Amino acid sequence: MEQTIQLNDVTKTFGKTTAVNNVSFTIEKGKTIAILGPNGAGKSTTIGMMLGLLDPTEGEISLFGKSPKDLAFKDKVGAMLQDVHLVDKLKVHEIIKLFRSYYSSPLSMEELIAATGLKQEDLNKWADKLSGGQKRRVGFALALAGDPDILFFDEPTVGLDISARQHFWERVENLKAKGKTIIFSTHYLQEADDYSDHIILFNKGNIIADGKPDDIKRQIANKNVSFVSGDPNIMAKLETLPIVISCYEKEGRIYAVTEDTDELLSFIIKNNLDAKDFFIQQIRLEEVFEYLTMDQKESVS
Amino acid sequence: MNAFLMQCKMEIIRVFRNPYFIFWTLFMPILFYFIFTRLVSSSYPDNDLWNAHYLMSMTTFAVMGSSIMIFGIRLVQEKIQGWTTFMKITPLPSWAYFTSKMIGQTAVHLFIIIVIFLAGVLINGVSLPLSQWILSGLWILLAALPFLAIGNLVGSMKRVETASGVSNFIYLGLAILGGMWFPMDIFPTLMQQIAEWLPSFHFGNGAWMIIRGEFPEWNSYVVLIAYLILLMALSILIRRKQQAY
Repeated sequence: MEQTIQLNDVTKTFGKTTAVNNVSFTIEKGKTIAILGPNGAGKSTTIGMMLGLLDPTEGEISLFGKSPKDLAFKDKVGAMLQDVHLVDKLKVHEIIKLFRSYYSSPLSMEELIAATGLKQEDLNKWADKLSGGQKRRVGFALALAGDPDILFFDEPTVGLDISARQHFWERVENLKAKGKTIIFSTHYLQEADDYSDHIILFNKGNIIADGKPDDIKRQIANKNVSFVSGDPNIMAKLETLPIVISCYEKEGRIYAVTEDTDELLSFIIKNNLDAKDFFIQQIRLEEVFEYLTMDQKESVS
Repeated sequence: MNAFLMQCKMEIIRVFRNPYFIFWTLFMPILFYFIFTRLVSSSYPDNDLWNAHYLMSMTTFAVMGSSIMIFGIRLVQEKIQGWTTFMKITPLPSWAYFTSKMIGQTAVHLFIIIVIFLAGVLINGVSLPLSQWILSGLWILLAALPFLAIGNLVGSMKRVETASGVSNFIYLGLAILGGMWFPMDIFPTLMQQIAEWLPSFHFGNGAWMIIRGEFPEWNSYVVLIAYLILLMALSILIRRKQQAY
């Protein structure tokens, strides 16, 4: 059995919109991976394809050598998805019982009840009448029903309060300790940084960084050169340079993110570009991420 | 196999816990039966025959409602709640999910048939040879398939409100035009001719023939099977289009 999850040149389009654009990455068994990005970056679409819910328009997905649609693979996968409500007219313990029956080697009823953390009286309630936080706990237990090797959590902490969030990550730490492969998506940088071994950073359907949190910080959090300019085309001019990763404007200053500030400065001066009042800064990952998220909000409005 | 049986069991439990189910498929038909056989005098010369005839009308009416409305609206609900998607990540094959719903629905229909038949015995002392009870019950169970196919089509709708409005309209329309509420012979000729092309008329007519000691007419089989094939083809077409978006 292969020991990796691989996506090769995967693209997903919906009509004319490209949700995921030619992405490739590899996930090693037993690792915890954060798919990080602002809303609409293509995180859920990518997870949907890895779970076999969506077919990639192009490209291939292999999960430990199997196709996402393989029933033997599904027997070893659990997931918490967004926008899934628990089915009506069943009690909590009945849903858990039903889910256990789907898998070849499920966790015991006791273990799953413990995973929900619900009281005995709540187990007899209608599943769709529970509070939001309680439903999420049941969803978590359902994801564990088949004692999966791989777990997917799509935006697992959205809408949870701080203590519920903490509780969730404690449980994830337990799963990590058991050697499970965990893939979660989030738009909170902090969560990705704190709980993953590896971050895949998405923006607008593209992977813009892929690596260990520390490496990503180094890779993305490059230096930037900022200045004031009267030339409206200066960003376009700089973006053609291979050493420039991206350009953006903030509070009247132009920021050019680069791996080589010396080279960039010498280019600006040699070409006599309209720029003054230079600053060189080390940027933090938070800032890059904030910039990405901000960019997202602008494109929405 | 264990998963499949459990799924069937849970599907059945869920239908029985649905208050709409009890209202539309048991309470309403039995109430109608009581009104039209006890309170309103019929134009039928043979009262026993009328009591048995109208019992078949109400049983088919109930099973048709369960197939179109209860089944259809539940499919829409599960879809918009994301449950249908969630089921796809489990190792339960999609055929098993769908088949268990059909089996659950059939089990529920069997229950409806038994309860309403019993109501007929209790309310009017309807008495039929055992073979006619069994044959008419079997007919209602099997000939419900085209209506489950209608329910399945209703299930492809995107909103519960639309699904519930449309299915109500189809359900009551088919029931009245198909002669389930009032016997066909009091209708004008044109309406009788239209009824000949409706699945609901043939659904009822099969059962009406059986309790008269005959067998369902050949054209009832033809019409019902034709509707079933047509509706299934339509449903495959619609779902393919929805997936392609």
